[in-house]
Formats: sequence, structure tokens, C-alpha cells
Amino acid sequence: MVGIVLVSHSYELAHGLAALASQVAGTEVRVEPAGGGPDGTLGTTGDAVRNAISRAECGQGVVVLADLGSSVLTVRHLLEEARSNGHIRLVDAPFVEGAIAAAVMSSAGQDLDDVARAAEEARGASKF
Amino acid sequence: MTWRGRPRRRAVQASSELAVALPSAVALHARPAATFVKTAMRFRSKVSVGVNGKLADAKSILAVLALGATGGTVLRLSAEGEDAPAALDALSACVTGLTE
Repeated sequence: MVGIVLVSHSYELAHGLAALASQVAGTEVRVEPAGGGPDGTLGTTGDAVRNAISRAECGQGVVVLADLGSSVLTVRHLLEEARSNGHIRLVDAPFVEGAIAAAVMSSAGQDLDDVARAAEEARGASKF
Repeated sequence: MTWRGRPRRRAVQASSELAVALPSAVALHARPAATFVKTAMRFRSKVSVGVNGKLADAKSILAVLALGATGGTVLRLSAEGEDAPAALDALSACVTGLTE
């Protein structure tokens, strides 16, 4: 299954969303949070993201969602450094809806392209 | 009055519809919604689910969640495509078997 990484400035936000996505999609999908700076501050660190990606990866690629601004930059720098060959995909998607859509698509056995697309298409979804 | 119409032609339509109620204690949210969507995704047909006048793509978790269907709600399922009847059979069984 495609792994999902959730990058947030907030430890609680990343972990809470990972818990929600796992509850909806099932625990067989690896949804890994990377949130918060050192010592409980708000922020994102490359190390946390790198570790989350390696926990999420199980051979079929990883979709990474980021909450805002500098968490996006953190992921971008990391992917540039790693010269990612495209199997780690940062998607431009709403954080909550994108994570849920991606996790469910992954749990249904869809591939990296489909999971990434589902996250991005979440932008157009109405809440009610 | 005489019936002068041409014999009605029955088009071969691979589309089906049926209505099925959610179990009374199970809302179509979170895990049950994902179970429903994943069942729909096993089929090639386009599958829709209607609740109280709202219609959602049964293969989209966000659309299904947005229906806000509570326990006991009647879901109107429709499918269009070569495996439409099988899709509706599977979804109907899925819905009646949902648990929280």
C-alpha cells in the first residue's frame, strides 16, 4: 500500500489527523505523522519528516501532505536533497480532506498516482 | 381510445437501482463509509448513492461522508456499467452488514 505522511507545524495536529485517517481507512495503511519542532515548539524538522517517510514507505511510494507554508518548504528541501525519483510525492491538497481521501484510496489498494490524485481532488469536495 | 404507439423498444441498459436502509445504529461515517466506498471501488460501473435528495459518487469517501447519512437512513443506490447488478448486490450486502 501507498504510505501517507502528514507534516504539520503542530505535533497534535499531525498525530490527531493520523489517528483520524487510520480510524477511517483502517490500520493496515501506514499513516505517519511528522509534526512540531524540537522541545514541543511549533515547527517542522527535516529529521521528523525523513523518519516519517521511512516509516511510511513499504515499496509502493509515499504521498506527503503538508499543512502550511514552511512545512511545505521543509518537505521540498528534503526531497531535493534526496533526489527523490518520484516515489515520494508531495501533493498540493487540503490537509484533513486530502489525508482522509488518500488513506482510503491507499487502503483500497490504489497506486501512487491514484492516491495522489484523490488527495488533490479533495480540494473540490464539499463538506456538506 | 386505441393504443397507436409503436411497440416500446427496450434498450439494453446496464444500469440498476435499489434502495437499502442503513442498520439503525450505524451512520455512514468514518470506517463504515470507507468500507462502503471500498466495496464500490471493486466494480467498474459508475455507482451513485442518494440520500434525501443529495447524490454522491459512491467511490469518493469525501462525497459519501458529506451525505451525513445517519443510522436507519435509506440509501438509494444506482449503478451504470457492465457490472452494475453485481455492484448493487455487493453494496446492498455491504450496507446491511455494516457495523460501527
